Amino acid sequence: MPNITTPHELTDLRSKLAADAGKVTHTLAICNGTGCQASRSTPVVEALNEQLAEQGLKEKIRIRVTGCQGFCEQGPVVVVEPGDTFYCRVAPEDAAELVSSVSRGEVVERLLYQDPVSQQRMRTESDIPFFRSQERVLLGQNRRVDPCSIDDYIASGGYQALAKVMAGMEPESVIEEIKASGLRGRGGAGYPTGKKWESCRAAPGDIRYVICNADEGDPGAYMDRCVLEGNPHLVIEGMLIGAWAIGAQGGYIYVRKEYPLAVANARTAIAQAREYGLLGSNILGSGLSFDLEIARGGGAFVCGESTALMASIEGQVGDPSPKDVHTVEKGLWNRPTNLNNVETWANVPFIINNGAACFSAKGTEHSKGTKIFALTGRIKNTGLVEVPMGTTLRNIIFDIGGGATNGTAVKAVQTGGPSGGCLPASLFDLPVDFETLSEAGSMVGSGGMVVMDERTCMVDVAKYFLEFLQEESCGSCVPCRIGLSRMLEIVTDIAEGRGRLEQIDLLEELADTVAHTSLCGLGKTAPNPVLSTLRYFREEFLSHIQEQKCPAGVCRALTVYAIDPEKCDGCGVCLRGCPVGAISGAKKEPHVIDPDICTRCGICRSECKSDAIYVN
Amino acid sequence: MGAYAMEGLWNGRQKQPQQLIEVLLDVQERDGFCSEEALREISQELAVPLIEVWRVANFYQALSLKPRGKHLITVCLGTACHVRSAALLVEECFSRIRMETGDTSVDGLFTIEKVNCLGACALGPIVVLDGVYHHHMTPAKIRKLIKSVYKLEEETMSDAEYHNPA
Amino acid sequence: MQHYITINMDGARLRTPQGVSVLDVAIEYGVCIPHLCHVSNLTDIGACRLCIVEHVSNGRSKITTSCTLEAKEGMVIHSNSDRVRALRKNVAELLVAEAPNSRAVQDVALRCGVKNVRYPFRNENCILCGRCVRVCAEVWQAKAIGFVGRGKDRHVDFPFGVRPDFCKMCGTCVDLCPMTITPCNGPMKPGEEYFCGQCESQLTMNADFPDTCVSCDLGKGFQCERQNP
Repeated sequence: MPNITTPHELTDLRSKLAADAGKVTHTLAICNGTGCQASRSTPVVEALNEQLAEQGLKEKIRIRVTGCQGFCEQGPVVVVEPGDTFYCRVAPEDAAELVSSVSRGEVVERLLYQDPVSQQRMRTESDIPFFRSQERVLLGQNRRVDPCSIDDYIASGGYQALAKVMAGMEPESVIEEIKASGLRGRGGAGYPTGKKWESCRAAPGDIRYVICNADEGDPGAYMDRCVLEGNPHLVIEGMLIGAWAIGAQGGYIYVRKEYPLAVANARTAIAQAREYGLLGSNILGSGLSFDLEIARGGGAFVCGESTALMASIEGQVGDPSPKDVHTVEKGLWNRPTNLNNVETWANVPFIINNGAACFSAKGTEHSKGTKIFALTGRIKNTGLVEVPMGTTLRNIIFDIGGGATNGTAVKAVQTGGPSGGCLPASLFDLPVDFETLSEAGSMVGSGGMVVMDERTCMVDVAKYFLEFLQEESCGSCVPCRIGLSRMLEIVTDIAEGRGRLEQIDLLEELADTVAHTSLCGLGKTAPNPVLSTLRYFREEFLSHIQEQKCPAGVCRALTVYAIDPEKCDGCGVCLRGCPVGAISGAKKEPHVIDPDICTRCGICRSECKSDAIYVN
Repeated sequence: MGAYAMEGLWNGRQKQPQQLIEVLLDVQERDGFCSEEALREISQELAVPLIEVWRVANFYQALSLKPRGKHLITVCLGTACHVRSAALLVEECFSRIRMETGDTSVDGLFTIEKVNCLGACALGPIVVLDGVYHHHMTPAKIRKLIKSVYKLEEETMSDAEYHNPA
Repeated sequence: MQHYITINMDGARLRTPQGVSVLDVAIEYGVCIPHLCHVSNLTDIGACRLCIVEHVSNGRSKITTSCTLEAKEGMVIHSNSDRVRALRKNVAELLVAEAPNSRAVQDVALRCGVKNVRYPFRNENCILCGRCVRVCAEVWQAKAIGFVGRGKDRHVDFPFGVRPDFCKMCGTCVDLCPMTITPCNGPMKPGEEYFCGQCESQLTMNADFPDTCVSCDLGKGFQCERQNP
């Protein structure tokens, strides 16, 4: 086990690792992140290993199990290096052919990505539209490392930035570099990172902490899972550099408990870094002593808020505190604490290695660099997308995302999670950056981007977010605890056909009060989804109130389900699927829904293969 | 010495109040829930006031105060899964399984857990059954999944259990 | 040696010892800032949000609770601007709609300018002000009760829901609870709640000087800190 005590020894190790890899001619990079595991990638890894042994190729062809690549719908994904041949939806049965083709320098056509429109087969990432418009500064690194191998990380250039800093950059100059880069917090608030580090360093006190917020509570967002699960050493390196700059001796990575693989990989990485002397005392001979611990979340969205997160690390309930004194001055155990999001920390090594100017060359005037977005919902290509700040919504949703599924039209995109808002299709030419989205009534947030089509009811979306926030509220303060429940009461009235016009005015007034009087960020931003849907989709609210209609056919009290006898072929799938027995009909004959029994749950419509069930 | 202390569950954590959540998560993983006995022991060993242990156990959704069913069905209700009709999956579960009050079935076989995001959003709706992730779930698929568990349970039931159902 | 600082509240320069909250200063000088969860000698938690003020700094105005805001030299505070009053009224309206069955809550709502209640009444018997929890933990050090649960399920309870032997039934929690002060016309049955709109405080005088203290009897037995008990 190499114990690296100087930057020079790190360079030596890197050279040695490169030399050792000499005999290997090809590497198969297989994604085994949470998403691909759900698509059963683990048996693929096993099958490939078996085939390499069987075909006697274990010396020449190496397998690298990687973390999430971000193209989740096409998993399991296998990339062949060199050449970057990109295979998708690989099954264990394909292993034999895949392996033998690699050794012969050939390509297996049927495993290549096939464009759904042109039907063309595409060989590499750079050919595939989903990847072409992206700039995968962070995500691209996932393919190069096995998250459970510190050697992989070092061999691919890892810890180089740390060595550079330890070899002779004063803390103040590190802070200047981060400031110059224009990096802003990637967790949602977009606060200038360099400025935060500077304030924390300046705060009085001898003991300081750095924290990585990997709670990622926004439903629909999984960028942080991907980075922490797939490249935990990148985050550790960023935190080490931050600890040096700020003067911190200890740090925590707070990971949501719902990410067991990220927790496990981060723990492994920390243990490895300790073994190699990169965590502990006198790191790389610099005099910096720093160590990291993992703290798990307990399933509370509010613990993504900085003061609640710190309370949670302290072993308490996650009740936020008023922020009249900032956590950079009094945070964890009342000591100066610098908290940053996973993606923020992950950007630090790039800035140190390549310089602030390289980072700020991408993006807009006030929003520099690239950002990872989780593009999901009713869209063709879902997955993780990394683009320069300033890329338009249209570019992301259509050029990368491929537009809507099922031939329906894209209606809106929800960004920023429960703190953000819904933007209509008419605003899709807006560039995605901090200021622009805030002015439009939403926010960049952590990066969740949920695409909605005509089958999504915006009143229902407002209701969904209110229900979510009300459930996750800690309950300490009146405006959030009671105000949100009253807002939900009103929106529920509207969704169920009892709405009155004057309730919309009350809703907006109450939203303003909740936004300005709540104790913490959860309450303060909670009204955003409602306010943005009212702003851009008011006609849907009016339709529910004045016409008792739900245009998207979602709100149950206002919809009637019926079967079109001309399209129904009597297959009976709906009859068997109905949980309340509202459907009747003989085999091969058109079926009928009894509206008095029907609860409008929608299960029948989702299962009908003839598109025979309609809503009015 | 308490039962858990004898197993060494509190080693290295005595008198460390900040370990409370980690300790509770460990107990939850071990037993499937946090018993009164465990909570009282934790209060003593970690030197945390009993009311604080109780508060933390009630605050965090990952911790359960009642025993869970043999099989845990976790349905993701995050935004991406929601717009793909994940709510239907919960309804399907509740309509196919006879539930006690709360989320555990009468026969103790199932607990249905709703979470607000598992981070596999591109593949939603997601259902996790006993640690195994299932993607692109529909009501029909979850119906099949539940049926398969019932079938498995039936097959592994002993003769004694068969003749004397609980 | 006490160190003194000066803050600017509503145009008046008020001198105060260091280390106290803006609400403490207001109470000391008779500036009326309605409050519910603040009790002297207990830590302030900013739960009820009634004591909100505008804190002006760097040309920007921030709404924050005065009980959790430490008074600092030169601080500029607006305790009764139109904006603050409108927000405070809405918060009080939420409170009285939630828990109308208390004279203290009804009086506070009237004091904050509530004229009518636009939400269907509920009949909760706890507003989670935390007075009981804090006095048990901080004064008696018993820690027999606490806020259990999250969000709308949050309630005050004993560990395991059972009174422990270290609760000595001192009754201080009950003494401090605003919900034990029944409305003047008696308790309101579920379904028969209403906004009372009357109180014994001298509100007519208050209409002329809305931000000064008139030493009112805010809910019998439930007085503003300014009153000597």
